[in-house]
Amino acid sequence: MSSLLVVIRREFVERVRSRSFVISTLLMPLLIVGTYAVPALVGSGGGGSRRIALVDETQQRVGDAVAAALAVPRTDPEAPTYVVERVAVPFAQAHADLTRRVQDEKLDGYLVLPADVVRTGEVTYRARSVSNFAVLSDLRRAASQGVQSVRLREAGLDASRVAALTAPVSVKTARITKTGEEGGSAQSTFLMAYISAFLMYFMLIFYGMNVMRSVLEEKTNRISEVLVSSVRAGPLMMGKILGVGSVAFFQIAIWAVTVTVLAAKTSLVTRRFHLPPDALSALKLDPGVGLAMVAFFFLGFFLYAALYAALGAAMSSEQEAQQFQMFVLLPLMAPMFVFVRLASEPMGTMATVMGMIPFTAPMTNAVRMSAGPVPAMQIVMSLLTMLVSVFAVAWIAGKIYRVGILSTGKKPTLGELVRWLRAA
Amino acid sequence: MSNALLLEGVSKRYAGHVAVDDLSLAVPSGSIYGILGPNGAGKSSTLRMVMNIIIRDAGRITLLGADPERDRGVLRRVGYLPEERGLYRKMRVLDVIVFFAQLKGLDARTARTEGTAWLERMGLGAWGRAKVEALSKGMQQKVQFITTVIHRPDLLILDEPASGLDPVNQEVLRDTILSARDQGRTVLFSTHNMMQAEELCEHVCIIASGRKVLDGRLRDIRREYRGNRWRVELEERTEQAERFLSSPHGFGAFEPAGDGWEVELDDAGDPQQVMSALAGLDARVSRYQRVEPSLHQIFVQRVGDAATAERRPEVAHV
Repeated sequence: MSSLLVVIRREFVERVRSRSFVISTLLMPLLIVGTYAVPALVGSGGGGSRRIALVDETQQRVGDAVAAALAVPRTDPEAPTYVVERVAVPFAQAHADLTRRVQDEKLDGYLVLPADVVRTGEVTYRARSVSNFAVLSDLRRAASQGVQSVRLREAGLDASRVAALTAPVSVKTARITKTGEEGGSAQSTFLMAYISAFLMYFMLIFYGMNVMRSVLEEKTNRISEVLVSSVRAGPLMMGKILGVGSVAFFQIAIWAVTVTVLAAKTSLVTRRFHLPPDALSALKLDPGVGLAMVAFFFLGFFLYAALYAALGAAMSSEQEAQQFQMFVLLPLMAPMFVFVRLASEPMGTMATVMGMIPFTAPMTNAVRMSAGPVPAMQIVMSLLTMLVSVFAVAWIAGKIYRVGILSTGKKPTLGELVRWLRAA
Repeated sequence: MSNALLLEGVSKRYAGHVAVDDLSLAVPSGSIYGILGPNGAGKSSTLRMVMNIIIRDAGRITLLGADPERDRGVLRRVGYLPEERGLYRKMRVLDVIVFFAQLKGLDARTARTEGTAWLERMGLGAWGRAKVEALSKGMQQKVQFITTVIHRPDLLILDEPASGLDPVNQEVLRDTILSARDQGRTVLFSTHNMMQAEELCEHVCIIASGRKVLDGRLRDIRREYRGNRWRVELEERTEQAERFLSSPHGFGAFEPAGDGWEVELDDAGDPQQVMSALAGLDARVSRYQRVEPSLHQIFVQRVGDAATAERRPEVAHV
């Protein structure tokens, strides 16, 4: 076996065997889906039945309409339902009693419709918990409907007729791709862009840092010199990058298989995560786009892995390397800062420019290609630019690496780094 | 006799100082050869140039008949133990050994059997599947030896092999070096410890400030540098003997030294003549012997204490 293969094999086997590989394989999808799904879950949850008292002080009997609106059966099985208890006595008399019943958990809360509510448009809801968005929006809707119907009636209009005339229009979306019209709502497109960009971002950082740690491990444990007596620095660095890279691809393959299996049970996934039924339809990628994404990830990984390798070789401890990591991280993070802009204007100037800069191209183009069709010419140009930069960066990184892995003690000054470049 | 390693006029210059200056030496095949010198003398730089880890500025290196700079394959026939050495802490012991052996061209299966055999021999048979970090420092050093010798190199290059070893492992090291020599391998090692070198080496090369001070067969060097100083020890001290030893003679004066006496003979002095005089004493002579200079004394004589230079701070060596 050639030295390069021996190095690759060690990096691969030791990593895949480690506990952190198993953990990251499980956690990374959870992290990505979690950051997307948790806000949705927090916003929607909180179903179940609620017992609410309704104090109506109005002459116009607004309470009847409010109670009726709250009693309307819901289509969403997870939405909250209400048992409404009408209070006949004025609020001033019932106040203390109602508060006590809420405290004793006989009631969830009570809604007060003051006498002048039709004019002021203000009601008060007192409850143990006032942070449930679903309940609050239900109450707001019911109170609004009650007050509006009175206002319409006083203006001589028929409430049901007005409702029919002002019924909202819903917009259905369909994405047009090279292969024709396909399903895929705005939300599903956004989800795809989000997943592909974040996945790339996390993977580049995670595995880039793995390369850096691997270099530092050999430096700090004084393994480098034993190694370079058997392997040249070049194949050693290349083997490291390829070895760590193959772990990344292996991990992605595991996820890809999992997603394929899950996609066969799409309905299960969408229901679990409260996504619209067609949310995952955009996950079915156009093969060309899929290939381009893999190419971007591949080149991006090489680019950043080489940078991380050089960083590790130039520093003498992980703490020191962490301080300087910002220089590598910033270009990597830049597309994520403007993610929304990239996703909403995939052909805008910013997206086009960032798509051509090698250091921001992988994530930027992942977002752009998920959001809409990007001219093939731009993708090819971007990939070619990246390819050239990968060679340039690897060449420079290789020189720093060659000298750096054998230098111990304090970290080099900028001048010394330049000398390393010249000498190696 | 052919040479396992030949250096001719090798130099290495770093920004600001000369690490190795026009160094020539020959390491005969099958010998144990020591490169001696104080810290910072250029020993490690020399060995690193041989291993092609740093590139020489001038001179020729012939390693096992090849130039390591042009023909890197020859390095696979060398076992190198650098001064800065370590192992992957999270790897299993046997896996580490197999990894380094494979880098030297052994196939995985051979590496595994050889590695297991070596672990057995070093008393680490039960530790093959343990992680390196679970081993004591001494055990890790043994594993490090194994990774250096497992591929049966023709030449072993050990840079300060004894540094940081406890006495037990120094014995292990000694045995490893001697058995390698017995198997027909050449051993080249560097040390700043002259006593250790005297114990093991057949050939030495002493360097200071990057320059060769002297080299050759240790026996020859001793012979060359010995003076005409003789030591006498007696079985018992008699009055007559004490009187003889404390009075001046034509060949020189005896001076008390430890348990006995030493006399520096002048050019005309004949050791035989002294021996016959001693034979006439009523005390029995237990020892009469030429005083051999130690390597350390030779070194100090040649270089002076000035050469015990401060070690330079380790900077990036390009």
